Amino acid sequence: MGTPLKLKRIGGGPERDVELTALSDSSIIARVDGEEISAELETLSDGSAMLAIGERRFHISGTKRANSILVAAGATSAEYQIVEARRGAHHVGLTSPTIDAPMPGTVLKILAKEGARVETNDPLIVLEAMKTETTLSAESPAVIKRVCVQVGQRVDHGATLIELAPAPE
Amino acid sequence: MKRPLKKLLIANRGEIALRVIRSARLLGLKTVAVFSEADKASTHVAAADEARLIGPAPPAESYLNIDAVMRAAIETGADAIHPGYGFLSERPAFARAVEAAGLIFVGPSSSSMEAVGDKVAARRLAMDAKVPVVPGIETADAASVRAFAKKVGYPILVKASAGGGGRGMRLVEQPDALEAALESAAREAQAAFGDGRIFVEKYLAKPRHIEVQILGDSHGKIIALGERECSIQRRHQKLIEESPSVAVDEKLRARLCDAAVRLAGAVGYQSAGTVEFLLQDGEFYLLEVNARLQVEHPVTEIRFGCDLVAEQLRIAAGEHVADPVPPRGATIECRITAEDAEHDFRPAIGRVSYLHLPNAPGVRVDTFLTQGTEIGANYDSLLAKVICYGANREEARRRMLLALDDVVIVGLHHTTAFLREVIASEHFERGELSTHFVDDHFGKWRHDASAEKAALITAALVAAGTIGKGQSMRSSSNGKIERRDQSPWTTLGGFQLWERR
Repeated sequence: MGTPLKLKRIGGGPERDVELTALSDSSIIARVDGEEISAELETLSDGSAMLAIGERRFHISGTKRANSILVAAGATSAEYQIVEARRGAHHVGLTSPTIDAPMPGTVLKILAKEGARVETNDPLIVLEAMKTETTLSAESPAVIKRVCVQVGQRVDHGATLIELAPAPE
Repeated sequence: MKRPLKKLLIANRGEIALRVIRSARLLGLKTVAVFSEADKASTHVAAADEARLIGPAPPAESYLNIDAVMRAAIETGADAIHPGYGFLSERPAFARAVEAAGLIFVGPSSSSMEAVGDKVAARRLAMDAKVPVVPGIETADAASVRAFAKKVGYPILVKASAGGGGRGMRLVEQPDALEAALESAAREAQAAFGDGRIFVEKYLAKPRHIEVQILGDSHGKIIALGERECSIQRRHQKLIEESPSVAVDEKLRARLCDAAVRLAGAVGYQSAGTVEFLLQDGEFYLLEVNARLQVEHPVTEIRFGCDLVAEQLRIAAGEHVADPVPPRGATIECRITAEDAEHDFRPAIGRVSYLHLPNAPGVRVDTFLTQGTEIGANYDSLLAKVICYGANREEARRRMLLALDDVVIVGLHHTTAFLREVIASEHFERGELSTHFVDDHFGKWRHDASAEKAALITAALVAAGTIGKGQSMRSSSNGKIERRDQSPWTTLGGFQLWERR
């Protein structure tokens, strides 16, 4: 409890450092990327709480999964990957060693070529789900180790589409 | 001729199936739900008196399967079918199948649905009924186009007759670019579609989307229930709707309603329908006719104090439509969808592990969500509609801000935070709307920093076990609060209080 956490929003955004430094009956002090934030906290009987930071009040709740935490703070919902807990699975210099399907869908286009080096934001694969195309891009420089799917293939949420290796310096 | 209805089958799912069931109950009808294998545990199945499985999850094999829906209707002895919106609601073949089986289709006749369903046919129909359409000319002759452009004013839009997807389309902003545009558009159209025919339309740079709700009965009476403005869209998907429109005064309203009733009258329209227009510089043009109940119908229901689904059922039973009462106040609706607004609104899936919805004076929420609902990729992404009433637009807007703060959904991405910022924006507050609103002001939207900090602190509190436990099946709507097994404070043994303020 009170362990400093390194969190990364799934779907993008930098790593963020969060730590609870104090907790009393109705107030907390947290440190977010080094900035100290005091807030009022009132827990409710259904596992949610009211969090007041300055003028804004958020009705908050969340669920912990193995490697991530799903939260809602008022209208805002987010899923954070616990970077600390997943560190072992990561290759140095790679944001993620695989490109996974963010939703079930059909592989529409494969732009990645095995053995090729890609740069941050290079488009790798295009999925179609609910008549919408989604392009998945490289989150960091890498080498395409393996393309695991074919055009036209149906994939489930979380299916590994492409394996990456660290890019040579 | 009165044909009292006894049992209604709802050929739909999600919030609209629940919505229709409620009105059917009000009128004393028995209800039959249909569902796919993916929706066995869905709320509309439990809400109906009976339910029938009609096929696997893909819509083509279940909710779009006319044979399966008809079989369910006949086996359960339903005497009427309500199609909801989407799915089979605007398919003349379905309406025909219902009619052929001797059942009542709660909607327009298959023939009037057909007459307004095709865009080109609807445009001709409109011109005959003296309903304005976007001015256009079906020629590639430069002199004729030049004369046309001089009359309607630049910019003009050159389009391929066979076109689609923007190919063969050219925006011409001034006269000296005209001829080159005509030639290149024709060339591109020929190459792309094997058909070089082109036509030219006046270009509406910043139109507003204004639509009129109509209700027609089987005795030839058609009424208009005012307008809705649905300019806040993304890729032609409406996000926010409101009534009245700040851009419509009494005089314009009368002209809009008149045009809508005239067009509906031309096809003998029955039941609820919507005539959509684009409005720019005080002039309006027909966009299309939606021959069904629309997603945003509650906006009109609240202002006119009516129940449009009940009206549809009464009309289907042969009753007369009543003259509307004068509308009151202002209403705004936000559509909350399972999409990631930060990433080009890509579809989101997940299981709702915590749910809290607003409940306050002047706030209505139409949803099928419960705690535990699984959102998959098979169907439309609509999760809930939040509809707020106010004595005036500003009161409705402020109520919406508070209501959206009370939409708490853990388990998947949804668009509530995005909608909240649109509603909070100065442009929305001032009513400066156009169909380009989202691209103009919210093209690169990101969660604001204070909400993100709150979310991060929430994650830390969840990791610490302070919140997120003891989530029993409490629903916000029944107000039942269950006791937690443990106080959060008993789980905080290791925590040091370092500072007291």
